[in-house]
Amino acid sequence: MSQVYEAYRRPEDLGAPPSESATMVRLTIDGKTVTVPEGTMVIRAAALAGINIPKLCASDMLEPFGSCRLCLVEIEGARGLPASCTTEVADGMEVTTQNPRLADVRRNVMELYISDHPLDCLTCPTNGDCELQDMAGAVGLRDVRYGYAGENHLDAEKDESNPYFTFDPSKCIVCSRCVRACDEVQGTFALTIDGRGFDSKVAASQDQPFIDSECVSCGACVQACPTATLTETSLIEMGQPEHSVITTCAYCGVGCSFRAEMKGEEVVKMIPNKDGHANHGHSCVKGRFAFGYATHKDRITAPLIRESIGDPWREVSWEEAIGFAADRLKRIREKYGSNSIGGITSSRCTNEETYLVQKMVRSAFGNNNVDTCARVCHSPTGYGLKSTLGESAGTQAFDSVLKADVIMVIGANPTVAHPVFASQMKRRLREGARLIIVDPLQIDLVRSAHVEADCHLQLRPGTNVAIINALAHAVLSERLEDRPYIEDRCDLDAFEDWRRFILEERNSPEALAEVTGVPAEDVRAAARLYASGPNSAIYYGLGVSEHAQGSTMVMGIANLAMATGNLGREGVGVSPLRGQNNVQGACDMGSFPHELPGYRHISDAETRALFEREWGVELLPTPGFRIPNMFDAAIAGDFKGLYVQGEDMAQSDPDITHVSDALSALECLIVQDLFLTETAKFAHVFLPGSSFLEKNGTYTNAERRISPVRKVMKPLTGYEDWEVTQLLANAMGYPMNYGHAGEIMDEIARLTPTFSGVSYEKLDRLGSIQWPCNEKAEHGTPTMHVDTFVRGKGLFRLTPYVATQERSTSRYPLLLTTGRVLSQYNVGAQTRRTRNVQWHGEDILEIHPHDAEQRGIEQGDWVGLKSRAGDTVLRADITERVQPGVVYTTFHHPESGANVVTTDNSDWATNCPEYKVTAVQAYRVTRLSDWQLEFGEFTETQLEFLRKARTPADA
Amino acid sequence: MNTAKLVRMANDIAANFDCGLDRATEVAGVVDHIGRFWSPYMLDAMARHMQSGDTGLSGLAEQALRELIEERKGQ
Repeated sequence: MSQVYEAYRRPEDLGAPPSESATMVRLTIDGKTVTVPEGTMVIRAAALAGINIPKLCASDMLEPFGSCRLCLVEIEGARGLPASCTTEVADGMEVTTQNPRLADVRRNVMELYISDHPLDCLTCPTNGDCELQDMAGAVGLRDVRYGYAGENHLDAEKDESNPYFTFDPSKCIVCSRCVRACDEVQGTFALTIDGRGFDSKVAASQDQPFIDSECVSCGACVQACPTATLTETSLIEMGQPEHSVITTCAYCGVGCSFRAEMKGEEVVKMIPNKDGHANHGHSCVKGRFAFGYATHKDRITAPLIRESIGDPWREVSWEEAIGFAADRLKRIREKYGSNSIGGITSSRCTNEETYLVQKMVRSAFGNNNVDTCARVCHSPTGYGLKSTLGESAGTQAFDSVLKADVIMVIGANPTVAHPVFASQMKRRLREGARLIIVDPLQIDLVRSAHVEADCHLQLRPGTNVAIINALAHAVLSERLEDRPYIEDRCDLDAFEDWRRFILEERNSPEALAEVTGVPAEDVRAAARLYASGPNSAIYYGLGVSEHAQGSTMVMGIANLAMATGNLGREGVGVSPLRGQNNVQGACDMGSFPHELPGYRHISDAETRALFEREWGVELLPTPGFRIPNMFDAAIAGDFKGLYVQGEDMAQSDPDITHVSDALSALECLIVQDLFLTETAKFAHVFLPGSSFLEKNGTYTNAERRISPVRKVMKPLTGYEDWEVTQLLANAMGYPMNYGHAGEIMDEIARLTPTFSGVSYEKLDRLGSIQWPCNEKAEHGTPTMHVDTFVRGKGLFRLTPYVATQERSTSRYPLLLTTGRVLSQYNVGAQTRRTRNVQWHGEDILEIHPHDAEQRGIEQGDWVGLKSRAGDTVLRADITERVQPGVVYTTFHHPESGANVVTTDNSDWATNCPEYKVTAVQAYRVTRLSDWQLEFGEFTETQLEFLRKARTPADA
Repeated sequence: MNTAKLVRMANDIAANFDCGLDRATEVAGVVDHIGRFWSPYMLDAMARHMQSGDTGLSGLAEQALRELIEERKGQ
C-alpha cells in the first residue's frame, strides 16, 4: 500500500453541501458555463468550477446560513448582493464573483471583523491554517479604520477545561459554525449563541465550562471553527503539521477514516476524513483525540520472558523471546499432544494479522484451536445471519440509514458505542424517520435533543426472543406481512412452519407481556409501525448477541425483516453494530475454530484442499476449541500452550476467576500486546505489539467496508505485529516469508471468493471497499441480498423462547446488565491511557432509586455486588436510567471486577457469554471485596516484576 | 473436561431445537449443530460420560448425541 503521504493542506471546502437532484441546471459564473444539480448553492457551483468565493460562515459540512456577508455576489437581474451560500443556482443565471463593488463590500466586512479580533497572528496557534487570516489576505485588508479603543472582546477569558481543545472567545467571530456543527453534524445541540448583538457569544449548555456541559467532545466544532477560537490542545503545543496520511481509526466498528496530521513521526492531530465513506468527515472523542496511548510511557517495546508467573520478567532480544516461545510450544505439543496448544486473535488487530495467526495455528501448530474475541461479542450474528440469509454480515452500508423511514434499535446504544453512526441516524430522525427502541435501559436515543422514540419497549433483560416473537406474532396476526416478497424471495415450507409456530398463542404479545414486562398494546403498536415502513431498518448491538439466546434473537430479527420485505435495498436491512474496529474482519479471516476464511466450514473437503495447496500442509477436518473450551481444557490439564494477539480475556471475558484459573494452568502463555494487560500478567512470554499508527494493514467495519491502515511512524518495537507472528511461525518450523502486509492481503484475495477483487492498489484507488468484491461486484457491494439472498431462498428459522437460567431469585433478586460509556473503549487498555479518564475514571453501578432505598444505598456509596460467580464492590449512581430490579455497570477498569460477577452462562449456539443478564444482589459495604484486594496485590507484584525487567533508560 | 458444562451446553442446544417439529427433524438439527461446532475432544469426553447411567441430558440431547457418536464410529 502506498503511504498516500501528502504535504499538509486544509481539506477543500466547497461552501455548501451537495444537492441530490438528478435535474441539471446550467448557469454562468464569471463568464464560465457551469452545469450542476438543481438545488446547488451558487458558492458550491463556483467552487466546482474552480472559482473560490471568499467565505467564513459557509461550509460544505453545514447547511447554508448566510451570516458572514463575505460570499456576496452579483447576479444579473437580482436586487442587491445576495449571499452565494444561501442562493440556489437557476437556469441561465449569470453570476459575478469579483468586481470592485464586491471587493469593497468584502473589505469593509473584514474590517469590521478584525476590529474586534486580536492581531497576534504570528503567535497564534492556527497561524498558517486560519480561514480568517486567509480571508483578510483574499480581500486585501490593509487597514482597520475603527481602531481598537472601543469596546471589544479581546479580554474574554479562555475556557481550557476540556483536555483536548481550548475555547478562546477573544478570537470568535460568531459565525455559528461551531453551533451548527454541534447541531447538524453531531446532533448534540450542546452549543448556542447566547445574548444578542455585541453581547452575542458562543456558550456551552447553560454557559458552562465545556467539560461540565453536554458537549461530547466529538471535535466537530473544533473542525468547523474558521479561527483560533476552538483549537486542539495538541496543535497549540506542537504547531502546524507538515504532512498527512490517510488511515483508519482503531476504535469502534464504525471504522472512521482519518487524516493523521503529522510532524515528522509525531501525530499533531487526527482529522476525520471528509472523503471517508463510513464517517464523511465526522468523528468522536475517541477516534479524534484519544490516540496518546500509542506513545504512553506504559508501552512495552522490548520482548520479555520468564519461567513462571511467579518470576520477575527478563528483557531479552527478539531472537531469544521467539526461540523461547517456540521451544516451549513444541515441547508442550510433544508431551501433551497436538491438541494441547492454540491461539486467539483479536478484533483490535488488522485483517492481515488475524489471517496470519489462524494460518499459523492451523498449519504450524497443526490443529484448529483458534478463536477470536468475537466469540464474546458478535459470534451469534455470524451464526444467525448465515443460517437465515446466507452471509455472516450486516446487510447495509451506514448511509442506508438516510433512506430509512422507520428505525428499530435493539439492544444497542449507538450514541456511546458507535457515536459517528449515531450522528447520522439522529440526522435521519430529525428529518422525520420514526424510532422504535427495544432496550431495558433508558438509552440516550429514547429522548434527547430533537429525537424522541415513538415506541420504547423497555423489556426485562433476557426476554429478547419473547419480544421478537411477539412482534412477529403481531405482524402475522394482523396480516401485515409482505406476501409477494415472501413468495418471491423465501423458502415457503420454512415460512409456513414459522408462521404456524409464531401464530401459536404462546407467542402473542398478550401471552408474553408477563414475561417481557412490556404491555401487549405497545408491542402491537411497534409491530404496526415497523411493518408500515415503507423502509424499515433494524440496528442491533451486543444487547442482542450477548444472551443465552443471542443466536436465536439474531434469527428472529432476520425472520421479522424477511416477513415484512425489509431486506435487499437501501433504507432497510439488518445491521449489527459491531463493537470493535475489526470484529467483522476477524470473523471474515477464519478466526473461528470451525471456519476457514470466508466462513467456509473446515469439514468442507474442497475448501480445505484449496488452503492445503496454498499453505502446503494437511489440515484437520474437525473444529478446534472455542475460547471457553480452551479454558475448560486448560483447567482439566489437557490444554497447555496459548498464543494471544491483542486480546485481554482476563478482563473482558466472563467469570474472571475461572479465566484466571485457566490462564494460571498454562505452561506457556504468549501475549502480544501494547501494554502489560491483565492477561499478560499471567504470561510467560511478552511480545511487544505495535499500535495502528505503526503498521500497514486493513480493518473491516460493521458495514463490511475494508479500509486501509497505514503506517505513519516506525514501530516502536522494530516490528509490525504480522512480522512477529511470522517470526514465531518460522521458529515453529513452518516457513512464512511475506515482505509486506499487502502480500498477505493478496493471499487472502486468492483464497476467499468475497475478497477476490481486493488489493492494496485498489484500496489506494477507491479509498475503501465493501465486500463482496469480486468479478460480479468490482467496486464492492454496499447493499447485500438485492435480487436474491446469498443462500438462495431466505430461510425462516424457528425461534422458541427459552428462558435464561440466569433469573432473579430471593438470593439474587436483581439483574445485572453490562455495557459501555462514550469515552472508554472495551477493556480501556487504550483509552485509560489517554485524557479520556477525565470523563470516566472508574466504573460505576447504576441502580434505580427504589432498589437503592430498599437497601439503604445512597448516591456515591460503596456497593457490594454478588452473583453465583463472584463479588466485587463499585460506587453507586442512583438513576432512573435503569428500571427497578435492574442494575448496570461497565467493564472499562480492571479493578472494578465487573466480570468477576458475570457468569459462564452463554449463547446455546456459539457460547457467546450472557453478559447482559446476571442475577445479583447489591448491598452497602465499607471495604473492597476480597477479589479486589487480591487483585491489587497480584497487580502490584506483576508490575514490580515488570519494573525489574526494564533497564533504567526504559524506566 | 468439565462434563457438567458439556451436558448443560448440549441441553441448551436441544432446548433451542425443540420447536414442535417432528422428532426426526429436531434430532437432525441437534446432530448437525453439535457435529459442526464441537471439537472431537469434547465429543470424546461426552461419549465417555454417556457410558455412565444418569447422563443428565434431556431426551432430545441424549438421542442426538447417541446418533452423532454412532455416526463418528462409522467414520
